[in-house]
Amino acid sequence: VAGRRVLITGVGSFMGGTLARRLEEDPDFEYVAGLDTRRPTVPLQRTEFIRADIRDPAIAGVVSSTKVDTVVHNQIVRRPGPGMSGATMHDVNVIGSLQLLTACEKTEEIQNIVVRGSAGIYGAEPHAPQFYGEAMARLYPLRTRFQRDVGEIENLFATFSRRHPEIVCTMLRYQPAIGPSLDTQFARYLSLPMVPTHLGFDPRIQLVHEYDALEALVATVRRPVRGAVNVAGSGTIGLTRILRLARRVPLPVVGPLFNSVADTLGKVGLTDLSPDFRRLLRYGRGVDTTRLVEEVGYRPRYSTPVAVADYAERR
Amino acid sequence: MTGFAATGDFLLRLRHALDGGTDLPEALGRAAGALPPPTRDQVRTAVRRLSGDYSEDEWGFDEEFVHMLEPLLGFLYDRWWRVQPTGVENVPAQGRALLAANHAGILPWDATMMGLAIQREHQLPRYPRFLVLNWAFELPYVSVAIRKFGGVVASPYNSVRLLEQDRLVVVFPEGAKGAGKPYNQRYRMQRFGRGGFVEVALRTGSPIVPVAVVGSEEIYPKLGESPVAARILRAPFFPLTPTFPWLGPLGTIPLPSKWRIEFCEPIDTSAYGPDAADDRALVLELSEQVREVIQGKVVENLVKRGPAFV
Repeated sequence: VAGRRVLITGVGSFMGGTLARRLEEDPDFEYVAGLDTRRPTVPLQRTEFIRADIRDPAIAGVVSSTKVDTVVHNQIVRRPGPGMSGATMHDVNVIGSLQLLTACEKTEEIQNIVVRGSAGIYGAEPHAPQFYGEAMARLYPLRTRFQRDVGEIENLFATFSRRHPEIVCTMLRYQPAIGPSLDTQFARYLSLPMVPTHLGFDPRIQLVHEYDALEALVATVRRPVRGAVNVAGSGTIGLTRILRLARRVPLPVVGPLFNSVADTLGKVGLTDLSPDFRRLLRYGRGVDTTRLVEEVGYRPRYSTPVAVADYAERR
Repeated sequence: MTGFAATGDFLLRLRHALDGGTDLPEALGRAAGALPPPTRDQVRTAVRRLSGDYSEDEWGFDEEFVHMLEPLLGFLYDRWWRVQPTGVENVPAQGRALLAANHAGILPWDATMMGLAIQREHQLPRYPRFLVLNWAFELPYVSVAIRKFGGVVASPYNSVRLLEQDRLVVVFPEGAKGAGKPYNQRYRMQRFGRGGFVEVALRTGSPIVPVAVVGSEEIYPKLGESPVAARILRAPFFPLTPTFPWLGPLGTIPLPSKWRIEFCEPIDTSAYGPDAADDRALVLELSEQVREVIQGKVVENLVKRGPAFV
């Protein structure tokens, strides 16, 4: 049996780079390609780096020439970085996914597409079930720009998968990741000198450890399943307990003032809290991971409380 | 006298520790050695919890927190409401079960007291979880406390998951209509909606234990309501009682009525099979049966109890 051939988008990100390195070390993978406009930050050996913009229609030719059987779409922007506007983020997310799908259509060898999507599609709602199952994505309206982006991306992939039943499309819905080497919104939030919280609220937060975030991707590449799969550490943890474990000083803010405090943090250059994240800090969110454990066959090593404890210890 | 001496000693030790460069949590824990045993343990527990060293389950239930508040709950149970529980042996000791009770008021005092009755009287006690009117989860502090006591958002997804974890789950099938009952309608069971709780019981094969609670419907006598305030707060209703909102936070202190809680014989649903959950007629029939049992037992216990407040 010939080895697998994989293409990873967003290989310049930490997660994309570590995934490429992880697959390189695995003899089952004959060829690994990484696509991005940024150079990978992780040192890579045999990964072929393809410098290209995912929004550029020219990637169709590039992708089909690699003759890959699997595409891992890892370029969904969760939060516009410095110097990136909301419109650019939307472009990368939606137009990028569209171009990537067009490219997949032109690559005959493709069998699997794995998307590192977001559990953000469920939102954060006061009356929500404590654990969302994969079928509950549209219980509530999509309220934020990021949610609408994810909704659109999910639609694109669902339509593609209907038109190409021979290709297995997996939409991984990731809860926010945490870990000593990750620079995520959650990590930035926890590194603030005073951490703003909603006065009188203690949301149930669910996270995935960076180790499991990577291994869940690898497990899905090895054993793809159709449709959406939630990815998270088991259990949930109260925000209050997170702050105590991480030894952070909370700054409780009454509801109506929370947005202005969060905006001020952004203006003085500390950190921008996205609208999604602000809602998460008030209402929290949990997902059911039965499908990940039973169908993909991956059981996360770190539960949510253990992931937080590990982060607090090793940061 | 000894209390004062111990407190003085505690403060002295605390100061020594802090002057010596010990950090505050550790200093508190060490100085607590000067205090008498129950207080000492409380201080140490509090210090430990402040460092994040405590556990909640995936629903946010915090058993240690409930234990810490047991003196207050015990006071309400024994002195304030003089709760008389009967039929506690009807609550299954193992496995899943759905407890369906009559209900009034937004704050789930009745669920808390049912939980305490099971703790006190059952041979093999366990803490029940209870479904709470959605709106309560938008309230600051209240939402946090409810979760710590074992409350969850009233959603069928939540009750199915809890029952699949083989827990006791308390539901109030009257829902918001029950919570907003005016005082002169007390103990008249409202319509049970579409019987969602029966569907959940059938789907998970859980027995239904009807529970009649007498006393809980007098603690917040609702004389009227203010639709304007309700609209401003986006609440399902805004109650006006003799004390609320006139006395502010003091108005949320419940009146000291006399309580009886009767746990009735379980109704087995496992024989119907999970597909019966889609059988509307059966669901409504079972739901009506549960309603009649509760209503009958409520009346019976009202007579046994006699006057409400003495």
